[in-house]
Order: sequence, then structure tokens, then C-alpha cells
Amino acid sequence: MAERDKIYKCLNPTGIELPVKLFPLAPRLDTLDGKTIHISITGEPDITIPLEKKLRAGYPNVNWTQKKSYMPMPIPLSDEEMKTTDAVILGVCW
Amino acid sequence: MPYLAKLEKAGIPTVLVDFNDQIPSIEQEALAAGVPNIRHVTASRTIPGPEDVDRWIGPMLEMLTKPLTDQEKAESMHMPSQERILFEGTLDEAQEFYQQTRIIPDPLNAPISVYTDGLPVIVPTEERVAEMLKGTSHRPDEIITRKKGAPRFAFRGGEGDAVRFQPRLWTGTVEKVAINAVMAGCKPEHLPVVLAIAQSGVQTGTTVINHQWMCLSGPIVKEIGINAGTGMMGPGNPAGMAIGRAYQLMAINLGGAVPGVSRMSSIGSPISRGGLCFGECTEKLPPGWKGLNEDFGFKKDESVVLVQGGEGGFNGAQFSPGGYRALQKSGHGGMARRLGVKGLPGPHNWLDWILPDIWVGDREGSRIFVMVHEMAYDLYRLGFKSKDEVLEYIWKKSFEPLKKYRDRSWVDLWTNGWMGTEPTSGKPWKELPDDYMVPAAGNSPKDSYILVCGSDEEICYEMPGGVRRGEMSSVYSIDAWR
Repeated sequence: MAERDKIYKCLNPTGIELPVKLFPLAPRLDTLDGKTIHISITGEPDITIPLEKKLRAGYPNVNWTQKKSYMPMPIPLSDEEMKTTDAVILGVCW
Repeated sequence: MPYLAKLEKAGIPTVLVDFNDQIPSIEQEALAAGVPNIRHVTASRTIPGPEDVDRWIGPMLEMLTKPLTDQEKAESMHMPSQERILFEGTLDEAQEFYQQTRIIPDPLNAPISVYTDGLPVIVPTEERVAEMLKGTSHRPDEIITRKKGAPRFAFRGGEGDAVRFQPRLWTGTVEKVAINAVMAGCKPEHLPVVLAIAQSGVQTGTTVINHQWMCLSGPIVKEIGINAGTGMMGPGNPAGMAIGRAYQLMAINLGGAVPGVSRMSSIGSPISRGGLCFGECTEKLPPGWKGLNEDFGFKKDESVVLVQGGEGGFNGAQFSPGGYRALQKSGHGGMARRLGVKGLPGPHNWLDWILPDIWVGDREGSRIFVMVHEMAYDLYRLGFKSKDEVLEYIWKKSFEPLKKYRDRSWVDLWTNGWMGTEPTSGKPWKELPDDYMVPAAGNSPKDSYILVCGSDEEICYEMPGGVRRGEMSSVYSIDAWR
């Protein structure tokens, strides 16, 4: 067999993807009215400014809360805040 | 994404608003976080804000109330499998296989290589990888982990935990690194360097221009013959070219970095195109100036690699080498005129000629100054007995009024919208007067750094981004991987 016809086993250069347990999404809300919905904003304010205004104006029956970070990572809800928060909107502005 | 995953797992429904071109990245992160079906809406990069919000505010709220589908309710395990042997065939066939491409849709609409940086590679046959592995005493199946005293930036977890390569957070073994080293054209004696670099997690940055590069320090520079002199950042040096390329191949293969999918640098960086690695010329340091290894807590006879990721412009060549010589040898020319030393032979402080303009024409923040040895010696003759003294001088030259600093585009990212504390005064940013002077060169003189190279042609580059020290250090031991 000519050298150029020799068969080689060639190795896989890609990284190893670890097994991941996949979780279901949280049950959705039956209604928005009367609920506490948290707006989590990261990055330079942009669309999140009109978003927050429109949410507060258009959905007055929702208890809107908000935390804002200019950094890429959101400011997390505390354990206590998680107990009283019904849903979260995460707005990324990058 | 881990935050949203935590909320969903805790029973709190969420919805994410992000840009359309980020969706592939979101979906990959969601899978890695265990919530692959996370709900999201896409905003526009160009439609005016109020009009844009009107497009998706309704669907966004509906995602909080619309009942879950069966797929969204499912609980399972993602069990990816992987074959060690990727291809069997002749070398010609293998070369074609490793060079395969796929079309990445918007925002590229262009073919992108699956396993390479776009160029042909050395085919990683079992035999070649076995030969490469002779360059280290570490076992092929050893998982790349954070070593004692090594930094944790770019991967999660603590000492001893597996390095999670960016951006897909995959892991890798010594053999995986060796495979990529073969493909890049490395020799076995380069492998400890590539393994040390792997510890960094080989990040590729975010949407802005992001450069990744490496500098070696210590005996390794001579051992493997990496260029620390003229043209060290240019082509021609096998060790530098191969090790620099190995970083980028690891980012592609171990990290899963794909332009337009998970590597979102908007225009990309020419520095990261083929990889950049060079050496520090410690033998030409001025007396008292320490090398990179000693500056970061290693001994003079220890070999280390600085793995650097920086964002922003790449400055340099503000003056011609001839103009510099005219300044220092006879006080002649424009540089001498600006410094007010006309007719006076040097040494003159050339830093005064480039500072603080580098922060005027570019972003705030620290820099790595790469200068030729002659210019370092000129600073030494002017009285700078260490790199730290030069760094202190540079930092002080960067001060500017708060009013001017506040007008920069990005700094409030790091001050959280001026809600934090200004470090030099210890007072809240908002309480300081407009004329209060703040440093444009980062919070500390030692956020910046100096590398001295062996070239004779007088030039200085200012590489964007600074160094990390201590627990978050960006300098890794090579000797730990021999």
C-alpha cells in the first residue's frame, strides 16, 4: 500500500460536554392582575426605559418591582424577595 | 442565564428580552444551565425604543401566562456522547474532513470552519498526538483543572475544579489540549505552554472588539526559541505562531466559539485572527526592573505565560523611531519641541509625549505598555528604578476632571451608573464636584503593566486592557505542566 493510501485514526479535538439535568419551566401565572412582577435590568439603559414606563402605565394592577445594574450580571433577588415575587422579566441591553 | 435557571427551578416564571443575533448564544447557555426551553423575545438594535417595545410587550407578557407545552414541562437528562476517534481515512481525506465548513446564517451568511480557524491544520492522528503527549508528564485523561494558586477567571468553581472552556462551558483533558496543539503545528516542547494557556478557559470576549494574546517569561523563552525581539508580534517564528494559533483552536474546539453563534465580537479582532504569542526579553531589562514571572510572584527561573484578553483599540507608533532618536540624541525635531528640550541631548521622558493623549483618543482604562529595551533604559536613566515607578507615573498622568470622565461612554458600567464609590476619594461619585480629578488609567497604577522586548527600533505599543493580579491573576505557571 502506498504511503498516501495509509489509513489513519484521527482524534476528536472538541471539548467534552457534561451531562446536564434538564428542568421544566416554572408553571405560568393564571393572571397578571395582583401579581408582583420584577423587572431586572442589566447594561446601559435603552429599551428598558420605555419598557418600564409602558408596563407601569399599561398594567396598573401589577405590583412592579425593579433592580438595575449597569453590569452584565443582574442584581439577584434575595431569598426573601423570591418568596414574594411571582414572575421576573430580564431585560438585557448590550 | 444561571440566574434565570435558578428562578425557573424555584417556581418563578421568567422571560428574557435580548437581541435577535444573540438567540443562538442564549439557546446554548440555556441548555448548559438546564433550562433549554427558557422563553424569550427579541428586541431590535435599530428601531427607536418606544416603537420597538410596542412590538413585543404583548407577547412578552403572554409568555408569563401562556400555559406550558408538554416539551416545556418535560424533565430529562441531556447526555451528550463523544467518540475519541473522529475520522478514519488517508491524510488527504482527513485534511479535507478537518477543513469542513458550515454556513452560519445571519448575521454572517458565510462559511465558517467547524474544527479549524479556516486554514489547513496538521491532521491529529493517534500517532502524532501520542508524540505530542511526550511533552508533558501529565496523564492524557487528566481533566484540565484549576491548579493551586492559579487564577479562576473565565471558568467557574474553585481550585481543583474542572476548567470550563468558554463560551460553551465544555471541559477538556490533557489529550484534548494535545490534539489541538498538534493541529496548530506545535511541537511536544510547546505542550506545557499550551496546557498552561488552557487553564485560562480561553475566553473569546463579548460583542466589542476583543483581542486574545499571550506573552511568555522565564527560561521557556530560550528553551523553545520564541521571538522576544524584532517583529515578535509579526510572522515567522514557529513557536510563537503555533502557540498563538493553539489558543484560537482551543477556543473553537474546546470552547465551542463560533462567530455569529457563540462568539459575538462585532467586527472581530485581527490580533485574534491567527493567534498571538511572543516572549518577554528579560535579559535586556534595565537594572532593578523585574520580569513578568517575578512581578507575579514566581521565581526568576520559573516559566510563566501571561494570557491576556483586552477590549478596545490597539495604540502605538505615535512617533517614528527616527523622531525618537532625534529627541534623545540631540533634542531635535517635533518631539523635542513639544517637550521643550530643543537642542538638549537626552534622556528625555518620552512618556510625557504620549500621555495623557492615549486616553483622550481612546477609551479609559488600564493598558499594557510594550516597549523596546532602549526606551526602557531611557526611563531608567531618568530615575525610574522599577516598572512600578513607571506605572505610578503613568497612572498619575492619566488624571482628568470628573466632568470629562463622566462623558466617556462605558465607565459607568464599572461604577454601576455612578451609584458606587469613587476609589481615590472614598466618596460617592455623585457627591464629587465636576473638577475633582480622577484617573482614566484604572483604579490602581498596577492595573497596567510593562513588557520589555528586544527590538532595536524605537517603538511602544499600548495594548488595551490591564492585568489581573493575586487570586484573579492572568499569569499561569508553565512548569506545573511539564
